[in-house]
Amino acid sequence: MTAVETASPPPAADGSGFSIKAFAERFGLLGAWAGVIVLFGAINPDAYLTWINFSTMFSSQAILVVLTLGLLIPLTAGDFDLSVASTMVLSAMMVAVLNALNGWPLVHTLVVVVLTGALIGVVNGVFVLYFRIHSLIVTLGTGTFINGVVLWISGSQTIGGVSMDLVNWVIVYRIGGISLSFYYALILCAALWYFMEFTSPGRRLLFVGRGRDVARLSGIAVDHVRLLSFVAAGVTSSFAGILYAGMTGSADPLSGLTYLLPAFAAAFLGATSIVPGRFNPWGSFVAVYFLVSGITGLTILGVDTFVQNLFYGGGLVIAVALSQLVRKRQPQSFS
Amino acid sequence: MRQILVRLPLRSLFTRALFAAFSALPFAAPSLAGPMEDAEAIIAAHKAMPAFTAPGEAFDARACMKDKKMFVIPLTMTNPFNVQVSKAMEEAAATVGFPLTNWDNQLKVDQWIQGMAQATADGYALIDLQGGIPPEALMPQIAAAREKGIKVTTTHLYDVTQEKSDSLDASARTNYSQAGKILAAWAFKKTEGKPNVVIIGSDEIIPTAPFVKSIQETLAALCPDCKQKYVNVPVPEWGTKIQSSVQSALVADPGINFILPIYDSMSQFVVPALRLTGRAGLVKIASYNGTPFVIDMVRTGEVDMNIGESLGWVGYAAIDVNMRALCGLPPVENLNSPLYIFDAENAATAGVPATFNDGYGDSHIAGFKALWGIE
Repeated sequence: MTAVETASPPPAADGSGFSIKAFAERFGLLGAWAGVIVLFGAINPDAYLTWINFSTMFSSQAILVVLTLGLLIPLTAGDFDLSVASTMVLSAMMVAVLNALNGWPLVHTLVVVVLTGALIGVVNGVFVLYFRIHSLIVTLGTGTFINGVVLWISGSQTIGGVSMDLVNWVIVYRIGGISLSFYYALILCAALWYFMEFTSPGRRLLFVGRGRDVARLSGIAVDHVRLLSFVAAGVTSSFAGILYAGMTGSADPLSGLTYLLPAFAAAFLGATSIVPGRFNPWGSFVAVYFLVSGITGLTILGVDTFVQNLFYGGGLVIAVALSQLVRKRQPQSFS
Repeated sequence: MRQILVRLPLRSLFTRALFAAFSALPFAAPSLAGPMEDAEAIIAAHKAMPAFTAPGEAFDARACMKDKKMFVIPLTMTNPFNVQVSKAMEEAAATVGFPLTNWDNQLKVDQWIQGMAQATADGYALIDLQGGIPPEALMPQIAAAREKGIKVTTTHLYDVTQEKSDSLDASARTNYSQAGKILAAWAFKKTEGKPNVVIIGSDEIIPTAPFVKSIQETLAALCPDCKQKYVNVPVPEWGTKIQSSVQSALVADPGINFILPIYDSMSQFVVPALRLTGRAGLVKIASYNGTPFVIDMVRTGEVDMNIGESLGWVGYAAIDVNMRALCGLPPVENLNSPLYIFDAENAATAGVPATFNDGYGDSHIAGFKALWGIE
């Protein structure tokens, strides 16, 4: 029994490899994204259908994309990691403390931050695997512990003055009008997709998530794979933290924690598209930008903030529900 | 909930007698001098180095506070604002010579309740809900304390236009409204009378409504035809929604030239929005709180102006209000703490990096000591 499971992808109805339902499910979210763009573009074309609008949307959501990708790895292996947002915040704060307050060179700082993310992954993995504690409990605990560390090292204060080199390489330098942060997220997404689809370790990760006992009987070192998935999540979350510090030029001890639920939302919404029934990078990528496209449209229209929450929460539930209807309500197990 | 309120920059603004008359300027009825002169007058009043003005009559604090002790429950000790105010209150209490206990907590209602129970049981004379705790959250505990003769007060909660809860014995109001006037005047002056403003606030914070109203009314009085827009972003969503809201506002209206995030910690999410939309340097930011990292951003040019107040001053003023409540003296309605403008010219006086207390002078220490009959 795996800890996190989505239903298996539905086979083509006629066995020929093509099914309208399967196609609709795979690309339904992409269609919904296009629909949102058409809708808000029709309502307010002068503001919404501008390159500056799309470039800011693409650039500003890179952090969420990267964090979601980090989350996907342990989810694919059947584990939750509730510490990803805390790791991201710790990483951003370490950048601020080491670089801005203590004057460390940026490269040294980033190396230490990434290594710290890896260490957090090791700690999560060891507690889950050696002590046989559910990942939900372990990562809830380590996340809270990390939050305490962040408050400690920051003195509960926001710290500014992060190197402009980092700010430039995250948000200021652009290609085609879009900040580099977007391309980092895009490259990471493509790399993770390639890893999961076309490499042996990636397939083993998937097998472990689908059925640990079967994977173990097949000769896969299940614990090893799960440990590495936590480490990968820690490293990726640290990278998200570096982007976060580069985006704002500062770090504060709390605000980044609010990224946790949107990351989970994007991961689960993404699991309904592109490769339905499986956590997948491109699905999550589309999910993030589907949601932000809608929210941006609402914001440009000047609606109250609560309407954004209605769209975010409602969009998530409705999209997943429609996906379930397409797959004839096959059960989704998150045991 | 904790995430929500830990970030509350409840850096209230306190009126001072020096500015009291000025605060009452009726902007609904523009002066004969003209709007630009009005705006410049507001700014000039808060560019001057703060000077101490007695908030009430002098009294013998040591004699009054003999055998009395005070209990302070900060909103949370994970917020540097509350920590600094509590430290200053401890310092002021030590100066007078009475015991003061700070109740360490992390923004949990059960911890506040526990603190109220302990203070009620241990014979404290006064309980101060410091820096943002709404009395409505502790009504049974406050009633129990007052039944035993314990005074209950708040520090840094209400705006000068708001009435305190009847459950409280005293509550010196803070002048968020004046901060609103300063922000509006600053945007008006810096845009040469043509502000197109986005105001960002958080409606769930008690003084936000009068604060925002003050900005809106001042802008309307100075410049009836100028555009302004208000965006409400709840505190827990600052990290995810301020940036996107500002981006969208700038896309929808390229003419926007000023952003006024009323609590300055919001600024860190406004700056990337300006960078991403290519408007950094063109659209200015002005805010209120005097949080050190934002004053640093003023020094480096990312933020145009920040209104600050000395938290050491706030702590002494809070002790003054509480002692008057215990000593049967006429209450001080508005907390004695001045607002002071930091811009590119003087940001470095707050320290490099900035601190919570540097740059304001220390006239309050000698002033309060003399007022309390010490020395």
